[in-house]
Amino acid sequence: MIGYLGLQLLWYFMQIIVSVWYHISIVGNMFESYFISYEVLNKYKSLHIGKLRYLAVVIESEEAHQTSKVIKLLQWLDSVGVKNVCLYDMNGVLKKSKDTIFQIMKNAKSIEEVNEDVTHHAPDHMTLEFVSYVDGKEAVAKAANLIFVENFKRHDIGGELDHQILLESHLNQALQIVGCKGPEPDLLLVYGPVRSHLGFPPWRIRYTEIVHMGSLNFMRYGSLIKAIYNFTKVRHNYGT
Amino acid sequence: MFSLRLPIPLEKTLITSLPKTSTTYSAYSGMTRFQVCHRYLSNSITKRGTSVVAFQDEVDGEIFVDAFQDEADGEIFVDEDFLEVDPLPVELQPELMPKHVAVIMDGNGRWAKMKGLPTSAGHVAGTQSFKWIVKLCYSWGIKVLTVFAFSMDNWIRPKVETEFLLNLFERSILSQVEECKRKGIQISVIGDTSKLPKSLKSMIANAEETTKENPKFQLILAVSYSGKYDVVQACKSVAKKVQDGLLHLEEINENIIEKELETNCTEFPYPDLLIRTSGELRVSNFLLWQLAYTEFFFNKKLWPDFGKDEFVEALSSFQNRQRRYGGRH
Repeated sequence: MIGYLGLQLLWYFMQIIVSVWYHISIVGNMFESYFISYEVLNKYKSLHIGKLRYLAVVIESEEAHQTSKVIKLLQWLDSVGVKNVCLYDMNGVLKKSKDTIFQIMKNAKSIEEVNEDVTHHAPDHMTLEFVSYVDGKEAVAKAANLIFVENFKRHDIGGELDHQILLESHLNQALQIVGCKGPEPDLLLVYGPVRSHLGFPPWRIRYTEIVHMGSLNFMRYGSLIKAIYNFTKVRHNYGT
Repeated sequence: MFSLRLPIPLEKTLITSLPKTSTTYSAYSGMTRFQVCHRYLSNSITKRGTSVVAFQDEVDGEIFVDAFQDEADGEIFVDEDFLEVDPLPVELQPELMPKHVAVIMDGNGRWAKMKGLPTSAGHVAGTQSFKWIVKLCYSWGIKVLTVFAFSMDNWIRPKVETEFLLNLFERSILSQVEECKRKGIQISVIGDTSKLPKSLKSMIANAEETTKENPKFQLILAVSYSGKYDVVQACKSVAKKVQDGLLHLEEINENIIEKELETNCTEFPYPDLLIRTSGELRVSNFLLWQLAYTEFFFNKKLWPDFGKDEFVEALSSFQNRQRRYGGRH
């Protein structure tokens, strides 16, 4: 009986140690974030943003209603030098807030307004793209449909019907035609409770780095800087 | 991070010092029966509840689990097949196990380099981790495991390495086909097999045919696979159906395309959990369409070092998020 009680005490003691360690690590992360924000940590002071040509931000739809937080996030990104941003939420909440966002972000333009390849434009303004679930799988279906229609038209006027001719490049082109102009993001930040990209256009995330940032309610400048910094240090093998 | 469900009562650990009870089973004479752990999943022994019984040898103190007790009538029995099965850890809830787990087995080359070994040694070590994860998934009630064995992008690697990899893959599967059939593990292969050697293509066809009956668990091997290729081939299949008059152009939508994806070889085509090892934070052209609502778990360990503890951590993390946020989107 005494042995059993002793075993129980030892077991609970071990759990207390684990619990304390866990909370210390959370507090440690918080302090690190503040140190980064106040430029205490040298290594985060200069970011080589050139590697981050296109950033996507996925926000859980319920949290996406907090337009002021979204704008704050965009302002942070602008200050750091990230100029090309794609904003995604599943239900299109951010699309509805588009006008409000552009009213406040006066130096930002919509990707539809920018004619050149956004990853090559001079960084004097932000380019914002607003995307939702319909721009993902549904867009691929529309693009495929477009290719089929063109193919069948050629068949009807005496051309060869070759369903084997459908290649990745054809889908790429067709996606541009149906309105999905954005490139593949280099980095995708997920704000929300789940570590999932929540249906972000699948055609665009082949080699995208995906980082879960936690809830938008608790977003921190330091965490954002750290995520971008870590991305700039990554080496991509692309299959090699 | 940890699944913080503390404190865990001591009773929920497998072994407690219960009063000794003698057993009438001659196979276990001279052994002490421990507390029954109710966490073992067994869909295949019996439809009724099943528990694991641990025994300790009274001579040398060795503890082992090799018997099962039917919860309905208390009968204890041994099933040889399940001597190899791993009991579910106490920190995992059987009702919250993901149905489909996908794994990107990354880091073999780096592991070998760190140890001063040739890359091939890393791949061989990686096969051991692969066998381990198959066993754990099979044991713990996960229905489908999809592994990214060889990417379409990997063809640019040196020919020596790709030939070694495909050869290793062929030998591994060949040696396991009969046991998979015996255990009810269905093997399926997805990817563009046109570039594979003839012997491997033939072996794949044979493995799929041999293991297709009465599966309890499905192992999907993605070989020469790419997420974009999967979408393109699905679109080609749809086009063929339109050409053959089986579909009208107006009917084509995302659901029609989804049905033609290669992962439709399974009842659960969308992974609940994706694990990637080696610290990389991307999906690298794997199951692009299917990962829309998949939970990601990125682990820093290199694949040959990924074992039971790391897998438990991934599942625990998955279950912890499930408990907080309810059902899936």
